[in-house]
Amino acid sequence: MALLEVRGLVKRFLGVTAVDHVDLAVEPGELVSLIGPNGSGKTTLFNCVTGYLAADGGRVTFRGHDLTGAPPHRVARLGVSRTFQQVSVFGRLSALDNLLVFLQQHQEERLLARLLRTPGLRRLEAVAVERARRLLDLVGLGAKAEAPAGSLSYGQRKLLAFAGALMPDPELLLLDEPAAAVNPTMINQMKEHILALHREGKTVVLVEHNMDVVMDISERVVVLDHGQKIAEGPPEAIRRDPRVVEAYFGR
Amino acid sequence: MRRAGWLALGVFVVTVPWLLSAAVPRQQRYILHVLIFTAIVAALALSYDLVVGHVGSLSLAHPAFFGIGAYTAAILATRAGWPFLAGVLGAVIAAALVAAMVGVPLFRLAEHAFAVGTLGLALVTSVVANNWVEVTRGPLCVTGIPKPRLGPLAITTLPAFYWLALAALVAVALFYRGLTTFRLGRAFHAVRDNEPLAGAAGVDPLKYRLLAFTLAAAIAGGIGALYAHYLSVMCPEEMTVSLTVNLLVIVFLGGVGSLRGVLLGAVLFTALPEVLRLAPTWRLVIYGGLLLLVVIRSPGGLESLLRRTAGAR
Repeated sequence: MALLEVRGLVKRFLGVTAVDHVDLAVEPGELVSLIGPNGSGKTTLFNCVTGYLAADGGRVTFRGHDLTGAPPHRVARLGVSRTFQQVSVFGRLSALDNLLVFLQQHQEERLLARLLRTPGLRRLEAVAVERARRLLDLVGLGAKAEAPAGSLSYGQRKLLAFAGALMPDPELLLLDEPAAAVNPTMINQMKEHILALHREGKTVVLVEHNMDVVMDISERVVVLDHGQKIAEGPPEAIRRDPRVVEAYFGR
Repeated sequence: MRRAGWLALGVFVVTVPWLLSAAVPRQQRYILHVLIFTAIVAALALSYDLVVGHVGSLSLAHPAFFGIGAYTAAILATRAGWPFLAGVLGAVIAAALVAAMVGVPLFRLAEHAFAVGTLGLALVTSVVANNWVEVTRGPLCVTGIPKPRLGPLAITTLPAFYWLALAALVAVALFYRGLTTFRLGRAFHAVRDNEPLAGAAGVDPLKYRLLAFTLAAAIAGGIGALYAHYLSVMCPEEMTVSLTVNLLVIVFLGGVGSLRGVLLGAVLFTALPEVLRLAPTWRLVIYGGLLLLVVIRSPGGLESLLRRTAGAR
């Protein structure tokens, strides 16, 4: 059974059909890229899957759970992590606290225990801090652990947001343009990180405009145009597909 | 050194009534009254900061919860003869219940609409206090609220009430610290800093906003009860919108989201107008001028000023 299954998803904005009966199945361990011209509905699809937008039709299931109509925090706790196109951090929290937010809701959510800081909770916190420091080191932000996230550079915030998505060790990772607006060195870094996740067996869905990245690392590419899925297949086949060429370059 | 400093401050604050009677016996009552009022306002401002500073929702309804608590305790004590602590508990529960009920629809509103909605609640509560004469006695006020009694301990003198208010302030400050640090604080701050991202991190923004709003209202209700028992009279004027303005000045000019900043703001902006009574004609002009000075020189409040000078050293 597919890990993530999207069936006949429809999303309309004031008469414009942004996502038009899209089907998508992602198997465990796959690395899938979602591409398409601007406005083709990629991010809208992400937002419908993760509960940020209510779909007008269709179903989304993840590990057999129905995600249709579930709010973002519930989707997240079921094991779906996502990043945002616009770099998104908790500006006034330190880099370390930014990562801790992403794990604590998965570990427990007992309000009284949190207020009293029970020994059990302190142990969980120590585990979380250790994991957060490891991830900060991984993305090269180890020295910035105590800095407010708002004071980091654009690229650093992007890496921090990526590390945040990894904090709860998600089963499914939805990355929205991880390589957009960052320098070539960081694009390579990001590629390495994604490939490393893939080798660990994580399931990754990528929305990306950078074709080099997409063609380099994806196992399968799904192409959207005007909200419809127009092609799907391995990168080499997609590159030659006449419908894809037409969608990107016109007739 | 830090610990010694806090200890010295604690000893000083606790011994103030004796120090006053030794140094300025004729002014003791007046100064104690100002200090009690300051402690009450400080506790109220801390509870207000839970909503404004920590989950970042600009609520203007705080006087409503303060008033609901005050009236609940006043009526329970005068009509039903409830003991002091039971009345405080009743006030806390009443304020929290109202907050939880109005919070659900209010938090569906976007930022500015939320502020206006809470302002509406404050106005409605004030109108009810003025006009529901059978219960609140309207402008005639609830009178004859007995002095507090804690078991065998009767709080009848000003120094005793000063210590009670101080104990309440310390309790609220500790609760505030517990709520705004560690995992709860982190969840509150995540919602404040970036609501969509908080959702992606598994934090339910509505739940945490509602939690902060309800707990803040509960504290405000308890403080209101204390206030009603202190004055022994509760009138509708005690819960007008001008209280919101005072709280906003204290929280924003003291240091939003900071325990030290809010306490400092409460002391300065409650005690200062009293000190300025020495120059009655110019009192409000000087007060307004000082407010402007803080806003211009340190938009982040006194707390950020303190932090900057500490960093420069």
